[in-house]
Parts: sequence; structure tokens; C-alpha cells
Amino acid sequence: MSHVNATTFTIVVALFIIVTGVGFAAARWRRAADMMHLDEWGLGGRGFGTFVTWFLLGGDLYTAYTFIAVPALVYGSGSIGFYAASYTIMAFPIAFIFLPRLWSVSRVHGYVTPADFVRGRYGSRGLALAAAVTGILATMPYVALQLVGIQAVLTVMGVGSGSSNTYVKDVPLFIAFVVLAVYTYVSGLRAPAAIAFVKDTLIYIFVIVAVFYIPTRLGGWGHIFGVAQAHFTSVNPATKKPFGTFTPASARLGSTQFDFASLALGSALALFIYPHAITGTLAARHRGAITRNMALLPAYAVLLCLIALFGYMAIADPVTVAAVKQSGNAQLAVPFLFQHMFPSWFAGVAFAGIAIGALVPAAIMSIGAANLFTRNIFKEFVKPDASPRLQTRVSQWASLVVKFGALAFAVELPHTFSINLQLLGGVWILQTLPMLVGGLFTRWFHRWALLPGWLAGMILGTVAAYKTATPATSHWASSSDTVFGFTLYIGITAVVLNLAIAVVLTVILRALKVTEGPDETRPAHYTAEPDTEAVLVAVAPTSVESS
Amino acid sequence: MAEPPEPVEPPGAARIPEGRATPATARARATRGALSAHPVTTVVIGLLLAAAIAGTLVVPIYARISPRVGDFPFFYFYLLAYMPVAAIATGIAALLQRRVAR
Repeated sequence: MSHVNATTFTIVVALFIIVTGVGFAAARWRRAADMMHLDEWGLGGRGFGTFVTWFLLGGDLYTAYTFIAVPALVYGSGSIGFYAASYTIMAFPIAFIFLPRLWSVSRVHGYVTPADFVRGRYGSRGLALAAAVTGILATMPYVALQLVGIQAVLTVMGVGSGSSNTYVKDVPLFIAFVVLAVYTYVSGLRAPAAIAFVKDTLIYIFVIVAVFYIPTRLGGWGHIFGVAQAHFTSVNPATKKPFGTFTPASARLGSTQFDFASLALGSALALFIYPHAITGTLAARHRGAITRNMALLPAYAVLLCLIALFGYMAIADPVTVAAVKQSGNAQLAVPFLFQHMFPSWFAGVAFAGIAIGALVPAAIMSIGAANLFTRNIFKEFVKPDASPRLQTRVSQWASLVVKFGALAFAVELPHTFSINLQLLGGVWILQTLPMLVGGLFTRWFHRWALLPGWLAGMILGTVAAYKTATPATSHWASSSDTVFGFTLYIGITAVVLNLAIAVVLTVILRALKVTEGPDETRPAHYTAEPDTEAVLVAVAPTSVESS
Repeated sequence: MAEPPEPVEPPGAARIPEGRATPATARARATRGALSAHPVTTVVIGLLLAAAIAGTLVVPIYARISPRVGDFPFFYFYLLAYMPVAAIATGIAALLQRRVAR
């Protein structure tokens, strides 16, 4: 711990302790008579209004990894990294179309997970299992990447870098994660919901300060864009190609426009079918909290666009460029930039914001994955008569397993492995789009057509991602692939194949009159705005009896 | 939409007892047939959402450096400026949908 700045370190530790206190205190927030119910532990009592939902979903979707990886991509490749800005613009109008329907049908039937809905809609345990396994697989590496975000901050702070032993080096990470695991176990979804207030306040403060302050140190926006433009249009002597693109290139220059648009669209479609996003959605008290938030959440999208611009600021700062070059890790660009530009106390605020920014989504993701395991694997296949109490207990333990699995992942395996898996996670989760979003609008798809479609999409997506190569890396080089001469996001290619198979097989299965299975939902359930009390009585008689 | 006349309850499924779900579902407001009841509003909602999505999906609209706005090349200015536009469009869609649901 030789280069640790005492001021920065103290501020980070102090803010971390405050957040820990909030996490434990959250167990008492909106306390229900019986907390041992998944509606309570896993969905915070399904009682969050517009305001809390805004913080919860915002804290959920904009993760520490986003804050590190998006500017790192901009730093390395230029304009393509701004697909993140485009995707967050598109994500909310897209979610506006289907998310309120998912909220309503889940509230009427007491669904806790997206796979619960698939189960109810298609009467198929197998299809629900496919949805649940995909959700868990896609979420695990995402949790691991939150740790990568924390590690980037700790590395730049100099914490633990004095030791070559992995375990000694990662002690601060272990401590942070054990604390996170314990308060998530105790408080459930209430913990990240409460901490999200602290996290987002810190992040809004440091981003706004950075956007106004850093350009004054770097000769203004004109200079920042000028340096970036010069850098990305110059030719890399190693590859004989430009370093990147300053605006998405048109067809004449080797198009990156399709790549940009398909990455943005694919990510936007995937965003709200991730289990953790659905967990945040189902925790809302009323349907209006969801529709209103689709208009309010873009405030975070502005934030993300500004964060992406940090990548260009880093390029325009020679000290940061030298530090990144020496470390050989572009992910450190933003922490190095902050360390160089800010006074040490404010660097502490920014680093704490990023590190705490990792804890909120990590908690929600582990809760989302744990609920999938409990509801759609444990209860479905192991113990069908599991009581609400037992289900909650299983979820609590599963959330611990998810977090420590992710920790082992982040510490034991090279980071590129987590990043590749997260990239694959997006491709995988998109394969649940036809059964989930399709199912919200129509029962036309046959359940035995959706399953092969899903499988084909998973296989094609995985194989295509594995086969991408650059001169530097032989596999997993990119999330995009060339289809008919166009560079496209693999997730989009795979989900198109998935849909095509589902459509063709549905036509065949319907012609053969294969049984469709029961559907427990009714059209009115998708637009219902049920009275909260009435549904809580229906779903969980024990939790409101005493009130 | 092919829907079986009576839901068959699979063994061990998480289900609300039918009788208990009724008070909640009775209050449900169906927007099924919203298109026929409020054709203009529904089409406007659709157009607003389509514009919000297409605005950045169609990359050639804004993948250019000039004109610069202040120090910002057009591409970056457009992305920042389109966010409030998309948010307001989605917000109006949300308000209109509430009126349709009433």
C-alpha cells in the first residue's frame, strides 16, 4: 500500500461505512408483518412508488462496469462506444411497449420472476426452465464484472497493489463483498433500493463536476474533440488501419453504422429482459410508476453519454494516456483521469461513487438470479410444496452462492474471461425475447416451437462469438460478426434465427394440432391495475393478516 | 389468440386461488380494442414511440462531424440533444395512454 493517498482512501472508506449502515438499516424500511416471503425479501414488498423505482432501476441498469467499460471502449475505439448512448435512448420507449404488461400480469398472478410468467403463459415447466437457466447464466458474469469495476478503482488507488499474492491483493474486495452479501441476505431488495439513493447522488455530483471542470483543465471541449479526432483518424502502424472511428463510418469507409445500430438495438432490447431489471420493475407498487419512469429514466442516459465522453477526456490528457499505457489496461482510463484531474478528496468521492455503484446492481442481480433458482428450479423440480418461508430462505442462500461464485470468478479467472461471458450474457438473454416479450402480446407461438428457437439462438450466438477473431486474439474478439457483408451484433443475428425457427415450427405444430398447453392468463390481466391490497391478500394471505 | 376455455391447473403450480384473484381482476381495465375505441390517440402513441426509437437507430441521420454546435461535433451534440426529445415523446405517450385507459 505504498502509493495510497490517505485523503482519497479515508473518504472512500467513510462513504463505504455509511452505505453499509444504510444497507442494514434498510431491513426496517417499510417493514412488513412477515418478512419471510419472497414478495418481501425478493421484491421489497412490491410497494415502491415512482420516486424509489427511479432510483432503484437507475441504480440497477447503470452499473460500475458501465462507468468503467463504456469510456474504456470510447478510449480504445472511438465513436462505436457511443452505441451505449444510443441504446439508452431507445431502451425506454421500447420497454414502454411491453414492461407495463409484464408488471400487470405479474401482479395479478403473483409472479416473482420472468420465468414464472413463461410458466403461467405456456403451461410449460421446460420452457420456464430454459428462461430461468438463461437468466442465471447471463447474470452471473454480470455480477463478476461489478467486481472488475471495483478492482479498477482499487488498483488506481494503489490499494493492495504492493502484494503479488492474489488473495492478499484482493482483501479489500473480499471485505466489500462479504459486507454486501450479509446486508443483502438480511435486508433483501430493500438494501440496494436504499443504497441507490446514496450511490446516484454521488454519481450525479461527480459526473456533473467532471463535465464542467475537467475541460477547463484540458483546454476546452474543442481541444478534447480535436485530439480525439486526430487520434482516431491516424493510422495504427501495427494494423495499418485507423485506431478507431470518430463518427460511425459510412459504407465507403468500411461501415461501422450497422454495427453501431445493431449493438444499440440489441442492447436496448436486452436491457429490460435481464432478470435484475425485471426484479426492479416488479417491485413497483403501481403500473403508473413503470410508465412514468420510462419518461424519467432517460436522465440517466444523459449521464451515460457524459460518462462516455470521459473516454475522450482521457485521450486528451497526456498524463492519463501515459499511465494507461504503462498499466496496459484501458479499463483504468477513467480512474486515472480522475486521479490526475481532481483534488484527492474529490477523487475519493468519485471512486466511492463507482465502487458503491457496483454494490447496488450486484445486490439486485444476485437477488434476481436467486429468485429464478428458487421459483423455477428449486420449487418447480425439487420441492413443489415449498412454503413461502422456505422459498425465502433458499433465495437468501442462493444470493450468497451467486455472489461468492462471482467473487471466485473475478479473482481466479482472467478478466477478459468475465468480459467475454458478459458479452455472451447479452446474446443469451436476448434469446428469451420471443418467449417473454412475444408471450406478453400473443399466445400464437407454440411452446414447442419457442424451445428449439431458443436453443438454436443460444448455440448460434455462442459459436459465432467464439469464432470472432482479430490479429491480436484468436477467439471472443468481438460482439459483432459479419453477415452478408454487414457487421452486425451477434445477439441480433441469433434472435432473428430464433424467431424464424419459432415462427416456422409454430405453423407446423398448429397444422398438426399438437396440444398447446394451458394458459392461466387472460387478456385483461395484461392491462390490469389491480388494487394493491386486494392482490396482496390474494397472493400472500400471511403477510397482511395482522395489518 | 387461441385460449383454452378453462385454465388447467398444473400440479404444484404457483397459483392464486381463482376466487381470491377475482376482486383484483374485476377492476382490470382492458385496453384490448383500444385501437377501435381511440384510433387517433393510439396511432399518436405509436408514432411518438417509433420516433423516439428511430431517432438514434437510423445512424446516417447524425453520423457526421459538421455542423458543429459550439465545440461539439454534430454526432455528439445530436446524441445529447435527442435524449430529452425521446424522453418527452415517451412522457407524452405515457400521458396519452393514461387517458385511453380511463
